[in-house]
Amino acid sequence: MRSGFKAANKRVSLKVLASMIPDGASIALGGSFLHRGPFALVRELIRQGKRNLELIKQSPGYDIDILCRAGVLSRARAGIVAMEGNFGLAPWYRKAIESGQVELEEHACASLTAGLRAAAFGVPFQPCGGLHGSALPELNGWKRLDDPYGSGESVWVIPPIRPDFAILHANEVDAAGNVRIAGTYHWDRIMSRAAGSVLVVAERMVDGEVFRQAPEATVVPYFMVQAMAIVPRGAWPGSCWPDYAVDYPAVERYLEPGDDALAQHLAEAPEAQEAAHA
Amino acid sequence: MPESWSPFSYIVINLARFIRPNEITFSGVNSTFPMLACLLAKRAYDWDFIYINVAGGVDPQPSHIPLSSSDPVLAEGSASIFANEDFYDLCTRGRMDLSFLGAAQIDAQGNANNSVIGDWHRPKVRLPGGGGGAVMMPTARRACTWRTEHSRRTFVEKLDFCTSAGGFHGVVTPIAVFVKRDGRLALQSWHPESRLEEVRERTGFSFDATGARPTEPPTSGELRALAQLDPDGRFERDAAVRLR
Repeated sequence: MRSGFKAANKRVSLKVLASMIPDGASIALGGSFLHRGPFALVRELIRQGKRNLELIKQSPGYDIDILCRAGVLSRARAGIVAMEGNFGLAPWYRKAIESGQVELEEHACASLTAGLRAAAFGVPFQPCGGLHGSALPELNGWKRLDDPYGSGESVWVIPPIRPDFAILHANEVDAAGNVRIAGTYHWDRIMSRAAGSVLVVAERMVDGEVFRQAPEATVVPYFMVQAMAIVPRGAWPGSCWPDYAVDYPAVERYLEPGDDALAQHLAEAPEAQEAAHA
Repeated sequence: MPESWSPFSYIVINLARFIRPNEITFSGVNSTFPMLACLLAKRAYDWDFIYINVAGGVDPQPSHIPLSSSDPVLAEGSASIFANEDFYDLCTRGRMDLSFLGAAQIDAQGNANNSVIGDWHRPKVRLPGGGGGAVMMPTARRACTWRTEHSRRTFVEKLDFCTSAGGFHGVVTPIAVFVKRDGRLALQSWHPESRLEEVRERTGFSFDATGARPTEPPTSGELRALAQLDPDGRFERDAAVRLR
């Protein structure tokens, strides 16, 4: 793989963006719970019938749940999973783990970050604070090292987590692929540094001059981004600050049982509506 | 006549009472009660503290109170974004004074299970998972939690899985407030409509109750602040907390 991605215009359709992810790939998904997740792309993975994907995310919710529901995932590395708000646990994720359909590597959010940092920093492991007394290190076979500088302290070290793709939902991109996020970037920044490639779904494309006016607002520079698609309201039914809030009635409809509810939910999504009108 | 508690106000206000002046206090994902407690403390008390949250907010002034405790509206009015990596690093380097963390099961030492009911490899119920607790509980100066149900299923002699060790400083339920003393949870106070015997009956481990007494009633300032946060009672209805 090349070190960087340079192309005059990296914009592709959502379909093409999803087709770049092969069966069996590991994907880190940006955002947190119902907020600014790359949900349009997640749904497109379902439409394309992907299989055996591995999801990596500190705080997945709707994304991991719908991918479990559609049989797309075989493995997950996650810190905390829930639909949040009044919805509680993620029901199809729960079923997938309890039945063994999906294999879980349970993390603390910060240990998953440590693994991503090891990959991003180019080192074979990364110390992670805390974890003392937790059963998670033994469960995952993590090692504990004594401070070689003699403080007498010891620290758990996490092996690298290097996703094949980091998939982010952003407010703005330019044609070169620079990425801007309003509000918190959650874990997106470290995911982008740890992954082999970054794919972006954005609300809109703006002129490169907008980025040059305030370069410190750019979370991911263009050369790390392989390709992107523009999907207005693509983080639906979640929020994308400050453009739109969570569509709670749509989340409630999604949570109704049955294949019909899932099919209706996929058809109701903004990217499907746009395709239908095109 | 003193003001009285509802089961909902009891949890929110007693969580807020763990917050101390000028300290750095954090509320996270899946944490409606701590979010309300932090926003209440900002309004109800005549002192201030440093409130940071999982939406990246630092002393935010949200235009409305969101259903989701990680909603980006919780960074409205914030002069900076202190993102996820930042607040975890702050905690592990020992400068998080108070972190609120969820827990499904709690033992006598205040350790927590948020992973699984049953055997981890053959789960009866898969719970949300490691989350913030495993790293924040042993490294925050104080960690506090809440349960909307007070029962022997929640307060257990032995955890099904130890997700987070180190122990909570404080725990609030609809009927009681516990604080850690000499390495174990001790009863600090109970809901005036409950009794010490009831707390003992509904707790799966033994605890010290020396000095414990009925919880001080809410102040009018606390209740006024809560009414501002939940003017139409939606949060209280959604939470559906009951004394018994």
